[in-house]
Amino acid sequence: MQPFSSRRDFLFNGGLGFGALALGDLLNRQADASETAKPLAARPSHVVGTAKNVIFLFMQGGPSHLETFDEKPMLRKYDGQLLPESLRDFDLAQINTADAQVMAPQFAFNKHGQSGVEISDMFPYLSKHADKLAIIRSMHHELFIHGSAMIMVHSGTSLLGHPSIGAWVSYGLGCESDNLPAYIAMTDSIFRNGASMYTSGFLPAIYQGTDMHAEGVPIQNLKRNANLSQSDQRFLLDQLREMNELHLKTRPGDSRLNARIANYELAYRMQSAAPELIDLSKETQATHDLYGIGNGAADRFGKMCLMARRMVERGVRYVQLISGGWDAHGDCKGNHQSQASKTDQPIAGLIADLEQRGLLESTLLVWVGEFGRTPIRQGSNGRDHHPYGFSSWMAGGGIVGGKTIGATDDFGFAAIEDKVHVNDLHATMLGLLGIDHEELTYHFEGRDRRLTDVGGENNLAARLVRA
Amino acid sequence: MQFRVTLILLAACSCQSVMANEPELWSLRAPKRHTPPSTATLAHSKRVKNEIDQFVLHGLQEAKLEPAPQASRLTLVRRAYFDLIGLPPSPQQVDAFLNDKSSNAWQKLIDSLLNSKHYGERWGRHWLDVARYADSGGYETDIYFRNAWRYRDYVVKSFNDDKPYNIFVQEQIAGDELWPDNLDLDPRRVYIVPKEKLRHFEARVATGFYALGPRVHESALDAKRLSYETMTDWADTTASAFMGLTLGCARCHEHKFDPFTQEDYFALHAIFASAKELEVPMWNSMGEADWRQAYPRVLAVQEARKEYQLFAAKTAGRKLTPEEEKHKQQLLANIGQAVLKLPERTGGPTGTIPYDGLMHIPTVSVLGRSHPSQIKPIHLLNRGELHKPGQRVEAALPVSLAKATGTSAKLTDPFEARKQLALWLTRKDHPLTARVMVNRIWHWHFGRGIVETPNDFGNMGQSPSHPVLLDWLAIRFVEDGWSVKKLHRLIMASSVYRQSSQFGSPRHLAEDPDNRLLWRMNRRRLEAEALWDSVHSVSGTINLEMGGPPVVPPLAEDEIASLRQKWHWVVSADPKQHTRRGLYILVRRNFKFPMFEVFDTPVTAVSCPVRDVTTVAPQALWGLNSKSVFGQSMHFAGRVFKEAGKDQKKQVEQAWRLALGRPPTAAESARALRVLRQLEESSAALNEAPSSLSSIDASQAQAMSKLCLLLFNLSEFAFID
Repeated sequence: MQPFSSRRDFLFNGGLGFGALALGDLLNRQADASETAKPLAARPSHVVGTAKNVIFLFMQGGPSHLETFDEKPMLRKYDGQLLPESLRDFDLAQINTADAQVMAPQFAFNKHGQSGVEISDMFPYLSKHADKLAIIRSMHHELFIHGSAMIMVHSGTSLLGHPSIGAWVSYGLGCESDNLPAYIAMTDSIFRNGASMYTSGFLPAIYQGTDMHAEGVPIQNLKRNANLSQSDQRFLLDQLREMNELHLKTRPGDSRLNARIANYELAYRMQSAAPELIDLSKETQATHDLYGIGNGAADRFGKMCLMARRMVERGVRYVQLISGGWDAHGDCKGNHQSQASKTDQPIAGLIADLEQRGLLESTLLVWVGEFGRTPIRQGSNGRDHHPYGFSSWMAGGGIVGGKTIGATDDFGFAAIEDKVHVNDLHATMLGLLGIDHEELTYHFEGRDRRLTDVGGENNLAARLVRA
Repeated sequence: MQFRVTLILLAACSCQSVMANEPELWSLRAPKRHTPPSTATLAHSKRVKNEIDQFVLHGLQEAKLEPAPQASRLTLVRRAYFDLIGLPPSPQQVDAFLNDKSSNAWQKLIDSLLNSKHYGERWGRHWLDVARYADSGGYETDIYFRNAWRYRDYVVKSFNDDKPYNIFVQEQIAGDELWPDNLDLDPRRVYIVPKEKLRHFEARVATGFYALGPRVHESALDAKRLSYETMTDWADTTASAFMGLTLGCARCHEHKFDPFTQEDYFALHAIFASAKELEVPMWNSMGEADWRQAYPRVLAVQEARKEYQLFAAKTAGRKLTPEEEKHKQQLLANIGQAVLKLPERTGGPTGTIPYDGLMHIPTVSVLGRSHPSQIKPIHLLNRGELHKPGQRVEAALPVSLAKATGTSAKLTDPFEARKQLALWLTRKDHPLTARVMVNRIWHWHFGRGIVETPNDFGNMGQSPSHPVLLDWLAIRFVEDGWSVKKLHRLIMASSVYRQSSQFGSPRHLAEDPDNRLLWRMNRRRLEAEALWDSVHSVSGTINLEMGGPPVVPPLAEDEIASLRQKWHWVVSADPKQHTRRGLYILVRRNFKFPMFEVFDTPVTAVSCPVRDVTTVAPQALWGLNSKSVFGQSMHFAGRVFKEAGKDQKKQVEQAWRLALGRPPTAAESARALRVLRQLEESSAALNEAPSSLSSIDASQAQAMSKLCLLLFNLSEFAFID
C-alpha cells in the first residue's frame, strides 16, 4: 500500500487492523506536516507505559461499594435509623433522603492476602488475588441515572457523541492484529445504552468498538452468504481485486481506493480469524474449569473472560466485557450474590490465567460500574443509585497490587479522601498505557478534545506501579 | 509542502483590507463586493463560464497550477445525477444526455434534476445531518419520537419548493412566533403560498428542529438536568446550524479562541428559556369530532383484550380442555376483529390524515411558548456545573456579533426572543448566515467547503481557501432571494465543477495535495443512503414513494443481535417498504441501521457538518456477505435477463450499463464472459431466488447473480469520479 497522502487519509483508511501504527507515528506525522506538533520529550512522570492492552470489566447497573470493597461499620451500628442531617443534602434517583433509613452491609468483610486488603465475602475467588488488586474506594461523579452515568464512565462526559475510552485507546495505540479489530466489546446481556457504550463518537469510525457475539456469528456479515461456496467467494474476490486494481491504475494517488482493495482481503481473513477467536474447543479442560465454564451461573461470563484472554493474545488492544444486572433496587443481597456467582470465578480465573501465561504484566484489568449504591435502604432491602462515592479496582498492567486508594465518609456516602473522578480513572488508565491524557487529543468542533476534558488531575498511574 | 498554498491564501486574505473598528475575526466582517478577476488576465480564459471560474482559475494561475481538463460527458451525467438526486441515471437517461447535442444540454439536465422531486430527498438529507435528525432520543431507553418524520418531510418539501433560505431559517427557529400573523415581516419578502393556514402550519412544523435532539428518558428523575441538557442542545445546535459557530465550549469556560463569552452562551440559553416543546394535533375540529365519534372502537379493543386476560388468569397453570382451547382461540380472534375495525385515517387540514398506530391522534412535535410566569431564570454556570449557578443572564444576542451588525445585543421583547434572533440572523447584511449556507452547499457539491469546517467559522475553524469567492457567492445568494436552486445552477454551470477528477501531476500533488485550490474535481464515495439507493435502483427494486413515517427493513440475525430491545425494531409489514430510499429508514440514536453504521452516517448527538468517509473491512463484509446485497444481486440478475434477452454478451453489456452507466470495454466483456463460464460450473440452485429468476436456467441464474454481486462491489460502483 502506498503511503497515505495526508494525516486525514491515514486516520480514515486504516481498515480494522492498522498494524503497528501508534500514537508515536501520529505525533511524528503531525510534526512532519508542520501541524501543531506536541513534544514527545519531557513527559510528565505519571505516564508510565507498563500496560499494552486493557480488559475493561463493566458491571452494568451499578454494583454496591458497600457490599463489595468498602466496609462501613457505621452502617451496621446505625442500621434502620434515619440518616444524619448532614448527609441529607444529596439528590438521589428514587429516595427522599429526609425519611431514609441507613442499611447495614449485607455481607461480612475480611482481610485478604499479605496486604490485608478488605474484600467482602461476596467474592471468594477474587479475594485470593487480593495482593494483585489496587482498590479505589473514592470513585465519584454526580450523575445518578443509568443513561448519563454509563456515558460518563465510558466517555468521561454526560453528553452523547463523545468517544468511549476504548476508541481513544485504539486511536492512540493502534492495533496489533492484522485480522481482528483493535477494540472489541462483548456483553452477557445487552448493551444498556446501545452503541454509545462502545462508540467512536467524534473520532473517525475506524475506532468504533466491534460488538462481538460470544455465540453464533461473532461479527455482522461475517458468515459467507449461503448462495456462495468458498471457492466461488475466493474466485470472485480475485476477480474483484483485479478489476479494482485496473480502476485504481487510471486513478493514481487515491489512497482510499488502495485501502478499499486491502479491506476486501482483510474481510476475507476475518471470516476465519473471528470464529477461531470464539472457538474455545481447543482450550484444555483445566482452563475451562479455571474460568468456571460449565459451572452453572459462571459459564457465560467465564466464556467471555476466556475469549478476552484469547483476544489479548491475538493483539486486540481494548476488550470491554459487560456483566449486566447489578441494579439492585429490590433485594440487594440476593441480587449481588447472584451477580457474584456469575462473575467471581470467571474474573479470578482470568487474572490467574493471564498471570500464568505472562500476560498479566502487560494487560490492565479495570473493574467498575456506572455508580455505586446508596447507604440507605430502598424498599425492604434494596439500594438506590449512588454516584457520589463508589468503588472500583484495577490489576495487572504493571500495577503493584495489595493497595487501597482513597476513602468515602463513615457512612459511605461521598468520596472524601484522595478523590478519583471518572476523568481521573481514565487519565490513570491512559497513563498506564503510556499515554499522557492531556496529549491525546482530537480536533472537533473548534477544540482539541480530550477524553478527560479539563479533568484528570488525580492521575494514579505512577502511584499504582510503585510498591 | 503545504507552505506555498498557505502563502497564497494569506495573500488572498490580505486583499480584504481591514477597516478600523471592524471585527478581527474575518467571518464577523460583512461580505464585501469584489469584482471577479478579469478574464483577459487568465491563461485559460476559454474555460470561463461564469464568475466562479474567474475566481478559481485566477487562484490556480497565481499558484502556477494547471486546472484539470473537463470531464467526459459520461462522467458528468453520473456526477450530476448522484449530486442532485442521489440516484444513478438509467441507461436511457445516460443516452438521452449523451445524444443531446444542443449547446444547453448540460443546463437542461441540471434543470430537469432540480425539478425532480427526488432532489429534495437528496439535499434534504444533507440538511438533516446539520439538524442532527433522529427518530429517537438515545441514551438508555432511546425513547421513540413518533412524529419527528414530519420535520424530515418538511425539510424535503422546503428544498423541493426552493424555499428561500432566510425563510427556512426563520421557520425553524421561530415559525410559531413569526407566522401566526406575519405582522413583523416585510410583506414583499413573505414567502407566498395560496393556502395561508397550511403555510402557517408548515412554519410550525419547522420548529420540530428543536424537538428531535438527544433526550434522556430517566431525566424525569432529574428535571433540572433535563432542562439544562435540552437548553444546551438547543443553543449549541442553533449556533452550529445557522451561525456556523461552535459555542458549546463556552458552556464550561470562556471561549478561548473566539470572541464569545460565557455570558453570550448563557444569553443564548435564555433566548430559548421561554420556549417549550408541544405536541400539536394535525387536524381540525372535524377530525377531532370523527375521532370522538369512533372512539368506542378503541374501547372495544380494550374490552376484548380484558376478556382474554380474565380467561387466561382463570385457566393459568393448567391444561386447557378442548372446549376451552376453542374458546381461547375465539377470544384471541375477537381482539383481532376489534383491531381490524379501528378506522385508519381521519379528515385533516391537508385532506385525510392517517392515525398513528391504533387510532392514536396524529400530532407534530413543535415549539411553543411558556406562560411568562413559568419561564425559569437562566444563570451563568461556572465550568458548566449545574450546582454552581452564578449571575443571572438575560436573553441577548452574542455581543460581538451584534456589534458587527450594528445592532444592540439586548432584545427588545423578552417574550419573543426567538423571533428576534431569527430576524436578526436573516438580515441581508448578517456576516454569517449566507456565508455559512453558501459554504455548506459548496461542501456538498465538491466534498469540501471553501471553509473546510462548515460548523466552525470561528478562530479555531479553517480559514477559507477562496475568501473572495465566498463573499461573492454570499452576496449573490442573498441577491438571488436566498434561492438554493439558483446557487446550484451557478455552481454546476462553472467549468470548475465540470473538471475531471482523474488529473494530477506530481507537481499538483506536491503543491496542493488536498486540492484546496480546486485544480480538479474531488472523487467521492457514495454516502450510505446513496449507496443503498444505488443498489436498489440498479436491481430495479427501489420504491420511490415519498414521505411518511420511517420504514423499518428486516435485519439479519447477526445484525439485530446488538439491539438491546428487539421490539425497538418493528419491521414494516409490507415488503415494498423495505426498498424505500435510505432517507426514510428509521434513525435510532441507540441503534443505527447496521449498513448505515458501517458507511458513516452521522452520530446524531450534535449537528454534523461533514460526514466521515472511512474505508473499513465491515464495508467489504457487507458487500460480500450480507443477505440484502446478495438478494439485490439476484434481482439485478433477473432484470438483466429480462432486459437483455438470451445473448450472454448483451446481458453483460446491460449489467454494466445498469451498474456503471457505461458499456463494458472489450476486455471487461471478455472477462465477464469468462467469469460467467467459470461460475456456471456450479449448478447449485439459489436460495430465496426472486420470481424474476424462476424461468431462468438454475446454473445461469446463479452465475449471473454472482457477477452482479461482483459489480456491486467494484470501486467504480461506490466512487463517483
